[in-house]
Amino acid sequence: MKKSIIILFALVSIISCRKDEINKFDGPDLNDVYGEFKIIDSLKSSVSSVDFSQGTMHFSCELSKLSQWKLEIEGQNSGAVKIIEGSSRVLDASTALWDGSTTIFPLFQAEMCDVMLTFEGEVDTLHTTLELTGLKPLEGFIVANFEDGWKPGWTKFVQSGANMKFDIQNDSVTPEATSYYNMQGEVNWDWLIGLVDFNAAAYNETTLPLSANGDNLFFNCLVYGEPQLDNSRILFRFDEDENEDGEFDETTEDQFGYEVIIDWAGWRLISVKYSDIVGNGNGGDIHNPDKLNKVSILHLANPASGFAKTAVDLMIFTENEALQP
Amino acid sequence: MKQIIILFFVLMGLTSFSQKGKKVQFVGGARSLLSSSELQSPGDTVTAPRSSGGYALLDLGVKINPNANTEVLGMLRIRNEFGGFWGAGVTFDVRQLHVRGVAKNFLMYQIGNIDYKLTPYTFFNHNADILTSSAGSFRMKERVMNYESFYSDNTWRQQGASYNFALAFPKVIQRMEFNGFITRLNPSNFSNVFDRLYGGGNVIISQSSHIDIGLNYVSIFDLAGTALDSNLYRNSVSTVNYDFHIQVNDVLVGLDGETGSSRVGKSLEPDSKLSDYFVHTRAYFDPVKKPFKFHVGYINNGADFRSFGAQSKRVNFDQPNNMYKRFTNEQILRPVSIYDMYNDPMLTNTGITVGLMNYNPAINNVLPYGLATFNRSGFYAGASYEGKQKITSADFKSYGLREIRGQGTTKKKSFFMNNLTVDSKLAKLWGGKRSLNLNLGLSHQFTSRQSEIDFEQVNLQSVQVNGGLEFELVENLFVLSNVFILQSQGKDQMPMRNAQDEVVDFETFEVNGQDLTTSFGLRFDFTEDNFLGIFYEMNQNNFVPDHPYRFNQASILYVLKF
Repeated sequence: MKKSIIILFALVSIISCRKDEINKFDGPDLNDVYGEFKIIDSLKSSVSSVDFSQGTMHFSCELSKLSQWKLEIEGQNSGAVKIIEGSSRVLDASTALWDGSTTIFPLFQAEMCDVMLTFEGEVDTLHTTLELTGLKPLEGFIVANFEDGWKPGWTKFVQSGANMKFDIQNDSVTPEATSYYNMQGEVNWDWLIGLVDFNAAAYNETTLPLSANGDNLFFNCLVYGEPQLDNSRILFRFDEDENEDGEFDETTEDQFGYEVIIDWAGWRLISVKYSDIVGNGNGGDIHNPDKLNKVSILHLANPASGFAKTAVDLMIFTENEALQP
Repeated sequence: MKQIIILFFVLMGLTSFSQKGKKVQFVGGARSLLSSSELQSPGDTVTAPRSSGGYALLDLGVKINPNANTEVLGMLRIRNEFGGFWGAGVTFDVRQLHVRGVAKNFLMYQIGNIDYKLTPYTFFNHNADILTSSAGSFRMKERVMNYESFYSDNTWRQQGASYNFALAFPKVIQRMEFNGFITRLNPSNFSNVFDRLYGGGNVIISQSSHIDIGLNYVSIFDLAGTALDSNLYRNSVSTVNYDFHIQVNDVLVGLDGETGSSRVGKSLEPDSKLSDYFVHTRAYFDPVKKPFKFHVGYINNGADFRSFGAQSKRVNFDQPNNMYKRFTNEQILRPVSIYDMYNDPMLTNTGITVGLMNYNPAINNVLPYGLATFNRSGFYAGASYEGKQKITSADFKSYGLREIRGQGTTKKKSFFMNNLTVDSKLAKLWGGKRSLNLNLGLSHQFTSRQSEIDFEQVNLQSVQVNGGLEFELVENLFVLSNVFILQSQGKDQMPMRNAQDEVVDFETFEVNGQDLTTSFGLRFDFTEDNFLGIFYEMNQNNFVPDHPYRFNQASILYVLKF
């Protein structure tokens, strides 16, 4: 009996020597929950000027506690805004990296940018500046950005309504570079206000130069919503010449359509995976982007809703991911 | 042939279920409560201050013994709320249904409702929120609450099946007892909720009259294929418990305890799985000719130890009160008080809850999940006294514990708890014919965390005092009086957990309040299980900052068991 008790005591003692959890604790650090907010190291930019065609940059800052922060970078000329938000004690390359992309359009230009760092629930605001010398390159097949004017081979149909205007504009509304395509008018007998066909022939091709994998291909376009008007819709139509005879036959070949109801004001990026676009089923509903011979934009509005206005810019197909302008 | 194992049937006082040869018996109970309450909340012009109500209920069970080894019990409850008539306010429920028996004089089984427990770390109904012995009207109410919630001897009411048999051996070991159970915690919805079962059992090996060892296993698990999902939940606990004892010179000396490990998680979420172990051991000394007994114990319950069969709490502090649920002109929710815990059966949990239940740190911050509380390490010691003439019995226990893993900081909280209960049958002192009983319960808790950083400091102190007097005025008619005080002051940081029980934030718990109940009344005992009580209670509570309230209640309670 005595032996058993000794053995048991020894066993219990061994088991009780639990690996000490000195440096472990459950949950968030109490300092992050209750600690005082202080700026340990102020906002800095990793470079004073950046060319995004050459690489990225980041911002740094150190805080006394975990905080919800918001970095806003605003182009002094363009008014473009990039917002980076996070929750951390330290801002560094892993949390506050900027690759030149834009959150609120227009896109950035080569310009000076104001940078502002704010913290949720705190009054402190930090500022710095950054010179942008080179823009982030756009990778993909650009269907249209309207910078070189109306391309031969593009065709359009505009209804004969009131205040009809389907043309390239060069004004301050432009979201990228200098030009965009404006579509407006009032048609009280038909949903269609006008349309533009971007034919493969305009690029000296029988089909657009795209990969065959629709799961890996994204269609992107900047779409403008006119303030106070929410009656516009845009239908993007994609015609595939599946038998490659140079003609699209609606009765035997696939036509895919993607409709967007424009219920916002200002520019917004629309991105959709090509294989997610719904088809008419006439060609078997198989997405063959390498057989695409025409992309069309149709501006639609309820005929009873009156004047409608929208605009588009930067129509581009990208591989692997949606456009990060 | 003596080497052959001898079959040993488990009697447990039930060699035959048919008592006195009766094939059909009626069992059950009846109860009636009539109460009138008044809430006084200064400045409150919105809450109706008075309420009254009551009910009468009958639990009528039919126990059928088709043969000597089988018992079938079905119990119906008929309850009538006072004020309802001709069917309005009347409810019919099935309160109990089971079949049990002994097969071949060897295997004892029960199917249907089973009241079950195994060990304090596997499957056990700890009473973690009532730290003092109840007296006066609180004792009557506690009996009612326990009956309503099926709390009996630390068991949980489950629905399923259990078995029990034992084997006796001629050599090496004396006896092996096998217990097993399987119950259903929740049904599938045939979509995303699995059938969840709870099963397990143990083997208790009695090597000799000095050594008992138990091997225990329980598991809460999802039944694969019962939902359109493959992410199966499991909480399994394996333990060994033991009791070694020997008598040396009129002193019984022993060592008992339990040690084991737990795992919890979902099959497709390996990162969220938790596993840990625990150690609990206790040495006890019982000088058999002396009125004192002593014990010292050691606890080391890992921070990730999870055993929901033993960590489910009786009181559900997230459940709103039924009586005066809201008060003040803003109609804020009235938090569950210790007085409500004795009054409202709807606040109690009648089954196993999967996941950590919330607790009230003012009531029990030291061992909120009983002995199975995780993240505790330290020692405890206790002593008990019972005089030869049984005039006074007392029990004292003191705990000194510490966190194993910090909460939001590497600094650990320390916990201290002292519990004392004293029962005195004073009339025995002078040989009085009429009994005069005095009960006293004390509990003191202290939680602290030392730190040079202000927000890391924790300092929370609670005291509970429960005193009761019971005087037999004339034969079987008792005058009752009771005072219950809960006082709590200080602050702690309570973890807030997500659905996976991970700590995601902390909430400051700051308290400076008192809950005081005084009561007096009469009780007439017709028999031990049949009494009529008339009592008046005054409760004052100021735990809600700026909203103190008083609660007065007069009640008539009749209880009968047959």
